[in-house]
Amino acid sequence: MSKRNWKLITLPFNKENPITVQILGICSCLAVTAQLKPALVMAMSVTVVVALANVIISLLRKTIPPRIRIIVQLVVVSMLVVLVDQVLKAYMYDVSKQLSVFVGLIITNCIVMGRLEAFAMVQKPWPSLLDGLGNGLGYSVILIVLGFVRELFGSGTLWGYPIMEKLGLYEIGYENNGLMIMPPMALILVGLIIWWHRSRNKDLCEQ
Amino acid sequence: MRQFSNRYMIIYSAVLVAVVAVVLSITAVALKPLQERNKEREQQQMILKAVGVDVPRQEVEKEYNRCIGQAYSDDSLMYYYYDFDNRDGIILPLCGTGLWGPIWGYLAIDKSGAIVGAVFDHKGETPGLGGEIASDKFAQQFIGKRITDSDGHVKPVRLKKSADHSSPFEVDAISGGTMTSNGVNDMLAADLAKYKDLIEGGVQ
Repeated sequence: MSKRNWKLITLPFNKENPITVQILGICSCLAVTAQLKPALVMAMSVTVVVALANVIISLLRKTIPPRIRIIVQLVVVSMLVVLVDQVLKAYMYDVSKQLSVFVGLIITNCIVMGRLEAFAMVQKPWPSLLDGLGNGLGYSVILIVLGFVRELFGSGTLWGYPIMEKLGLYEIGYENNGLMIMPPMALILVGLIIWWHRSRNKDLCEQ
Repeated sequence: MRQFSNRYMIIYSAVLVAVVAVVLSITAVALKPLQERNKEREQQQMILKAVGVDVPRQEVEKEYNRCIGQAYSDDSLMYYYYDFDNRDGIILPLCGTGLWGPIWGYLAIDKSGAIVGAVFDHKGETPGLGGEIASDKFAQQFIGKRITDSDGHVKPVRLKKSADHSSPFEVDAISGGTMTSNGVNDMLAADLAKYKDLIEGGVQ
């Protein structure tokens, strides 16, 4: 893989992270990260949708009339999201119930449309796939961190496994933090991640 | 930039939408049996929970077949019965309307008319408020309550603000979920009245 293509994968993890730098896709990242499992499934769903939508739009890019390009993008994204939703309902029913409307709302996730407009409309399919994967995974990494922290400290479990109970922490007076499972805490955690991220990358700070 | 004619754009969108429609229809039809089975399992799991059997989704079918049966009353109303581990009685399906959409539940009753368990669920009540009817904490209040008075007549359990916990006909309503609580009250009253003959005749 060429150096330029490799950057498409790695940049979204750091200086072009969709959540912490571009501040896109915040809504779903607050809503589905109370537990690790739905967070991971949501992350995978978004990654699949962004990557495939990027490839399809990139393949069609020369045939799409610019005046109706947003509608075309929307139809393609909607199709992929409905497919993901149907597959989840068939094979991961409990998770799909937990995610409820948020799977459908991937359609309006700014990351997806953002990548289509900014990248797939003007790039070849292979770089578009990498760009989609990179952005999806950059989104995923934040969701997984949030899901991990919020489930561990909010419910005392990880992937449903009662880790705090097994460690015997409740017997010595430990209590779960109820605020952790509320969406506002996710926003505070995202804020902390952004703070940490910018303190390490001075060029990301506004003047 | 290449120019596209209006005719091109119209045909392009029509073809695109048709292709997408075909793909989605095929998927929906292909996955439907699996989705239906998931829904059925979920319902069976709920009914099992009403009689106090909490099993993971994979074992639902086996346990359900062991514990639960389906029957029809004289006036051809469908109800469930349970008969396992020396416990038996009937389970009444309930359905009504909450604030935003349908609510439903199952009420397991023993031979004396006492409630041995209840479970409720909803389509779209407000999480944290009306949505709390689906919580174990709410459902567990029903255990030990009664649906028949001392003469054996049907008397529905009521959700009330600051309920008298010693009364067999009162449980605490959901604070902040008055409309949903009212819906549960109406549902209990209407559906228990519907099963009046079955309860007064069969259970006593």
